[in-house]
Amino acid sequence: MASSMGARNSVGQLQFTLEVPFPSQREASIAVQSLIPDCEPRKGGITKTLSVSANILSVKWTAEEARILRVSVGSFLDHLALVMETMDAFGRIVQQ
Amino acid sequence: MTVVIGFEGSANKIGIGIVRDGEVLSNPRRTYITPPGQGFLPSETAKHHRGAILTVLREALDEAGLKPADIDCVAFTKGPGMGAPLVTVALVARTVAQLWGKPLVGVNHCIGHIEMGRLITGANNPTVLYVSGGNTQVIAYSERRYRIFGETIDIAVGNCLDRFARVIKISNDPSPGYNIEQMAKKGKQYVELPYTVKGMDVSFSGILSYIEEAAHKMLSSGQCTAEDLCFSLQETVFSMLVEITERAMAHCGSQEVLIVGGVGCNLRLQEMMGVMCEERGARLFATDERFCIDNGAMIAQAGWEMFRVGQTTELSDSWITQRYRTSPHSAVKNVHWPDQEHLPGDGCVCVNNQEGT
Repeated sequence: MASSMGARNSVGQLQFTLEVPFPSQREASIAVQSLIPDCEPRKGGITKTLSVSANILSVKWTAEEARILRVSVGSFLDHLALVMETMDAFGRIVQQ
Repeated sequence: MTVVIGFEGSANKIGIGIVRDGEVLSNPRRTYITPPGQGFLPSETAKHHRGAILTVLREALDEAGLKPADIDCVAFTKGPGMGAPLVTVALVARTVAQLWGKPLVGVNHCIGHIEMGRLITGANNPTVLYVSGGNTQVIAYSERRYRIFGETIDIAVGNCLDRFARVIKISNDPSPGYNIEQMAKKGKQYVELPYTVKGMDVSFSGILSYIEEAAHKMLSSGQCTAEDLCFSLQETVFSMLVEITERAMAHCGSQEVLIVGGVGCNLRLQEMMGVMCEERGARLFATDERFCIDNGAMIAQAGWEMFRVGQTTELSDSWITQRYRTSPHSAVKNVHWPDQEHLPGDGCVCVNNQEGT
């Protein structure tokens, strides 16, 4: 089960963390490699960091405004879902 | 044998194609069509592509009769194009490349059009007119590089046509340009529009403003019909394109013209270009809608060219870019242009074939 947490940090910025477990480290690693290359659209006031530890993909955002944070998290989740659906549909074949 | 799968989704078409040594094994595609009067926006287009891409990928493999293990390389559109749709497609390409353990190749969309045009038509060393909703460029290959000889200084010719289609609210199915072409055939009156060739380049934004205003005035007063405006717009913009193509041909001493890109499907444009070519004793090449319009196989073909000479893209470099110049750093190095013997393949429309005369 994925877990998330939001808060304001010491400088008053909004922070949001998402942790997504994958069935294996390989799949978590594939997901992060697919998701990392595209930069955040240059709206400014938002940073996003992705990392992998064992089979958990962690994403951490800091943002100035809630609106920008919402858009970024929303589109990330769409992208994540697409990557996971792709792995479901085309990953099993290779494992056989 | 080298088999490459190509992913394309930079505008409102999502296409995935498989090419094996110059043979197109499959090329399924879906188009996101908006209601009359509306264009396509990035986020909705990306949503359309997200919904269709895995189905189209399955189709591409099934129609080719191949398994992932048979693929040697995964090519995808790095740019140029609309950001959100490009990302959607790149995500799937990166993921399958890793799942299947295949190298990745990021392709320039414009070069995809050119390389597929060359493959299908067998054009040897043409002056290329690349015209679509997003691009308008005259390109020639000179000293191992693609060089832009002329281009639009503002909007693409297809963009001008598409936006005019919105003003007169014609259907976007199958494409606004196709419907303008059909209406133009019924035009009876030529309405004079600005003609804006700037040396080697062209400009369309002024013509668009002018015709948008003219449409409101003249259609309500009954001075002309929408068909007349479609006809007049085509005659004007296509003449401009023929002029700058001819200028580039004169510079290069070229005897071949290749038209690529969605607007290249237009038969009136092909006809007008054909007249100019005949006058110069040159040959005209064009492809049919399977390859003119954005498709996955063209990305696979350009990817095949790059992969053959060892050009691949690291995952960390596989970011997409909305602006990607058809220029020195996006060139397919060491591509054999004049040397290779190509035979015209299925899908080639050889207009003004000199051998027949």
